[in-house]
Amino acid sequence: MQSRHSSLQRLGAALAQAGRVLTGRQIAGRGLTVFPDDIFLVSYPRSGNTWTRFLLGNLINQSDPVRFSNVESRIPEIYFNRDRFLRQLQRPRMLKSHESFQPEYPRVIYIVRDPRDVAVSFYHHNVKARNISDDYPIASFVPRFIAGEFDRKFGSWRDNVLSWTVLRKGDPGFLLLRYEDMKRDPVVSLTGVVDFLERCSFRKIDSSAAALERAIELSSAERMRTLEKQDAGLWVLTKGTRSDKPFVRSATAGGWKSQLDGESVAAIESAWGELMQTLGYELASTAAAADKLSQRGLPS
Amino acid sequence: MPSNIVVRRIRGLINHLRKITDTALDRNPAGRNLTVLPGDVFIVSYPKSGNTWTRFLVGNLIYQDEPITFANVESRLPSLYVHPDRKLRKLPRILKSHDCFDPRYRTVIYIVRDPRDVLVSAYHYAVKLGIVPENWGVEKFVPALLDGSFESGVLVNPRWGSWHDNTASWLAMKDSRKFLLLRYEDMLDDPERELIKVADFLGLEATPERLARAVKLSSADHMRELEKTQAAEWSLTKNTRPDMAFVRKARAGTWKAELPPQTVADIEAAWGPLMRTLGYELSAAPPERDELPVVLR
Repeated sequence: MQSRHSSLQRLGAALAQAGRVLTGRQIAGRGLTVFPDDIFLVSYPRSGNTWTRFLLGNLINQSDPVRFSNVESRIPEIYFNRDRFLRQLQRPRMLKSHESFQPEYPRVIYIVRDPRDVAVSFYHHNVKARNISDDYPIASFVPRFIAGEFDRKFGSWRDNVLSWTVLRKGDPGFLLLRYEDMKRDPVVSLTGVVDFLERCSFRKIDSSAAALERAIELSSAERMRTLEKQDAGLWVLTKGTRSDKPFVRSATAGGWKSQLDGESVAAIESAWGELMQTLGYELASTAAAADKLSQRGLPS
Repeated sequence: MPSNIVVRRIRGLINHLRKITDTALDRNPAGRNLTVLPGDVFIVSYPKSGNTWTRFLVGNLIYQDEPITFANVESRLPSLYVHPDRKLRKLPRILKSHDCFDPRYRTVIYIVRDPRDVLVSAYHYAVKLGIVPENWGVEKFVPALLDGSFESGVLVNPRWGSWHDNTASWLAMKDSRKFLLLRYEDMLDDPERELIKVADFLGLEATPERLARAVKLSSADHMRELEKTQAAEWSLTKNTRPDMAFVRKARAGTWKAELPPQTVADIEAAWGPLMRTLGYELSAAPPERDELPVVLR
């Protein structure tokens, strides 16, 4: 009975997929058609990608502010949008992705965030998405987060970040942004992005001080929270999730200090401490991490 | 309407319909859309780096009933690029892949080969496939392959990346998964020694008799004999030039005679540091500064 059920399910899935091909409604995802002038906004989930989409969207098109209901036609993400729709966008396109290293992405803006904060944010996100219940302890979530259990195709935080930084750091088509730097001084970060886009021959952007301030204002956490209240039912990432939990949460750096227990922090730092340090994230449990690192060593 | 436009439209429609039926009947090779199952083992390499040979060696160690041939290799150690996902679900799960780093792969045997030899081999295979433009020698082909202007879904795939991207992406991720690195040149030097590594890695029984049998049944001579009678049955040789062999020299260092010095210099300038880490001696003076990230050194 079990196998009959699953083969029926597979048949259903195959027919649905065929229907999507027939009508040109295939979701892009990993089958995305990549153009040589594409610019990808890549990050591990919960690392500030949506905020960056708001910032850049508000800077690129200053006549019509970004909202959750129009962000998918401005800087669309590849997982819920159709390849045919994405192929018709104005070139050069800017697209959001969570993939680990993809050799065919020609230009990449990669956003990295302190994995301890990513863990906290991802925990709340999974509660909102009903993947885990309200009373599921965050201390039980963290080891599963470290193992990259919640979205295997993106890998663990380390898989994702390390694969991009090792392969592309220093490449003229690669820009590394730290969420924490963007929080501290969004003007500086945005100016760096504008310079990068100019080098990529992106369309001309008004990057005057006033334009930058306006884009930052229109993308503030408070404003995004207000917009989320209005648009949550219309946006693909919030549709069908728990409406009592916000998508735009605390939007701060360092929340892990009060939300994670010592053991969870030590677990993250001993798994990824070395990479965290190269990205400028100071370790709290230095002794434990250093010990683990020397044990593992680096194969030559 | 001019007839060539009509022909093009009809062709486009046929292609579209073929895509629909292939999808409806789930006939597209799995490739990157493979459903990865727990326990899957991947034999990964850049193309032309000894993947088929490794499949023969491993297969002949595992299967004691009948030898691996070009006629059964795709049902015993199948390629991601031959069968659809649905079919792969029912086949043994030691899978051949050329993909760049994929975080879902948890157990990986990665084979690396001197990129200078890889490019020579790629040239000969491209000629066999009939995809090299008329009058193109290796000196025209290799630079076109390197700068991305030569495209072919069979030999070059944007999702496989360059030799450097492919190799570096896997080497960088080696300490967060079960990972075994094999060098093609080491395998040539002492296939039994390298096969013991694979046996240890996969927990296979490797008595001296079994190892000797596997190496013998996977020798270049033996594989050439098999290719003579089975080339039409195997997806990688079907409809290719029968006067050229898939199993070619199976040697290391042929680039010295076949690649022009300028091409060698270009390859080494682009990938020198990674080549040196892997033990491939550069013919030009090494760059002054080693620019490799720590995880790749």
